[in-house]
Amino acid sequence: MKVSLFEQVPYRYIPDDYGDHNSSVVTAPYQVVDPDRMHESIFSAYAELLHGVRSGFDGIVVTEHSQSSYDVSPNPTLLASAVACAAQAEGLDPAIAVLGRSLGKTREPLKIAEEYALLDCISGGRLIAGFPVGLSYDANLNASLPAIETRDRAREHRELILKAWTSPSPFPWNGRFEKYGAVNIWPRPIQQPHPPVWVPGTGSPGTLRDILRNDYAFVYLSWDGPKLVGRHVFDRYWTLAEETGRDRNPYRLAFLQVVAVAETDERAEKEYASHLMSLYHSGLGAIPGTAMAVPGYAEPAAIEAMLRAGGPDGMLARMRTATYKDIVDSQVAIVGSPATVADQLEAFVREFRIGNLLVMMQNGSMPRALTEKNISLFTAEVLPRLRPIWDDEGWEHRWWPRAAAPAAAGTAGTEAR
Amino acid sequence: MAARGRAGGGGDGRDGSAMSLTPMDVRDEAVQVWDGRLRLHVKVTGDGPPLLYFHPLSGLAWNPLLSQLAARHTVYAPEHPGTSPGDPHAISEVQTFWELLLVYEELIRALGLDRPVAVGQSFGGMVAADLAASFPQLFGKLVLMSPLGLWRDDAAIPLMAMVAGPPEDMPKYLFAHPDSEAARAVMALPGDPGLIPKAIAQGAWNVGCTTKFAWPIADHGLGRRLHRIGVPTLIVWGREDALIPVAYAEEFGSRIAGSQVEVIDDCGHVHQADQPERTWTAISKFLDS
Repeated sequence: MKVSLFEQVPYRYIPDDYGDHNSSVVTAPYQVVDPDRMHESIFSAYAELLHGVRSGFDGIVVTEHSQSSYDVSPNPTLLASAVACAAQAEGLDPAIAVLGRSLGKTREPLKIAEEYALLDCISGGRLIAGFPVGLSYDANLNASLPAIETRDRAREHRELILKAWTSPSPFPWNGRFEKYGAVNIWPRPIQQPHPPVWVPGTGSPGTLRDILRNDYAFVYLSWDGPKLVGRHVFDRYWTLAEETGRDRNPYRLAFLQVVAVAETDERAEKEYASHLMSLYHSGLGAIPGTAMAVPGYAEPAAIEAMLRAGGPDGMLARMRTATYKDIVDSQVAIVGSPATVADQLEAFVREFRIGNLLVMMQNGSMPRALTEKNISLFTAEVLPRLRPIWDDEGWEHRWWPRAAAPAAAGTAGTEAR
Repeated sequence: MAARGRAGGGGDGRDGSAMSLTPMDVRDEAVQVWDGRLRLHVKVTGDGPPLLYFHPLSGLAWNPLLSQLAARHTVYAPEHPGTSPGDPHAISEVQTFWELLLVYEELIRALGLDRPVAVGQSFGGMVAADLAASFPQLFGKLVLMSPLGLWRDDAAIPLMAMVAGPPEDMPKYLFAHPDSEAARAVMALPGDPGLIPKAIAQGAWNVGCTTKFAWPIADHGLGRRLHRIGVPTLIVWGREDALIPVAYAEEFGSRIAGSQVEVIDDCGHVHQADQPERTWTAISKFLDS
């Protein structure tokens, strides 16, 4: 399987009691920031991604959020570009996954087509193109676009970007949201017909059907871990895959998991607990629930079903007050010795047929030295156990850039099954 | 009262089933407009010369003011596209605010109304004002109750903060007296807990459907068109309006020649909840004149 390093870019010096009084998004007060520490926080994220590439991760994964203290990454292609150049200079060939520029938020979709294409060229054809709709607070509050149009906007932008990449000649675009006289972007992606498309989502049936019909990869970008909602979402996914006539290739699926590894379980708790909790209490946990669903963003039937099920699934709604025990018991974070972590990861990866694991190793206030230790231990002692998981089934990974390191199974170029 | 014959009635107004609080006979008229692509639902009640009521952001909820109006007018209260229970995607047939105005202009012709009185409240006030400015022959009289539609940097309208903020903060934007019985009645959820999820979901969707044309700032250039309004116009504002500051009363008043501005003391954004009697006095006097 493919295992990639997922990294967000938090400001790492958020005060402990921040989440009691402040939102981590939209209105997050910039007065808490010290400029030198902001530099250090952002530079550390670049350095850790590069450390991850050197240590043997198959790829790096970055995301976009504006007006946020937990992910200071208003344009992830900047971050990805720097890592792609540095890795290349060292002769390394990681996949570069941007998950991604938000399609429902952008006012300039051709800029995404151009930036992704540029990144594919810079990296020599190693881009994974993420096509997220975008979170409600980002699209509807930060970018101030009407919530009820978010999905239609994302759909049109996806169509436009794919056409901009693949159309052999200039074309006019008379869309509902965008109008262009002659679209003819330079450069175009190296990967043909276009880079692999990964679509992050929370697993609603409509989104999953759309992903399966288009044969994209589905990224379950949740911070809930596998236990709370994993079964629900992945069972639904594989059922819909069967209904849509898609095979059971595990490389169709990607899953994000927070992981912290130390020499022993005890030491892992001691070293990581406070940093993990700073993410949950002051970062993700300090996103107001109302900012995740501005009226119009979610269909009435979906809201009604969610309320009838007793509130939002998973941990997000109660993260701000969760205890370390809640987090670890629920596997929202998988923390412990290499053996503990590998056992837990392997179990759910096999159970849910996940072919791409995205591992988040820096959280909240976690400093660079500790993050790099986490990365080194994981890549040395956990990754080797995960990598061969799907080899015996012999599937082709059709959602991975061909120029990036080939799949261990070595079946590239042949249709599996 | 006449049942609306569709699912989703909770009886509080926040679920979009506006009729259940009214003591009167109300019928639901479904009118095909927009080249057959839209079936607009219009609540019709009362007797007398025609009057159109354009509802606020949260959708059509029956309130005592409508009963008062219905005692002397035939009240036509259209539901904004997408807010009628069971037809949420109607909103996607209306792409721009200009299209919304055209849809309503078609509706008024389809109903056969000859220069009806138009009463528009908040979001509905913006709709009514722009209809009157765009189609100067459409209405006979115009009542604007704290309409959206203009913007001044020194009098920001916290629409986004209210809509995206916690629901428990909403009353402070809407009422001078959030704890009054009338204010609580406006905000109440259905008594039957089984109906609450549908009511909340419908309420949120309604706001999504209206804010489509009011987000993040409800300024479609109305200020440059208001001079076209030539019918007798009453502008009603609560002095303590915490959503659309009272400064806008004069902004509308000065742009609409011959209009009359009534500012009601001790009154917030929802006039009929905070000051039902003074509100009715102002409106009925104007309608009599």
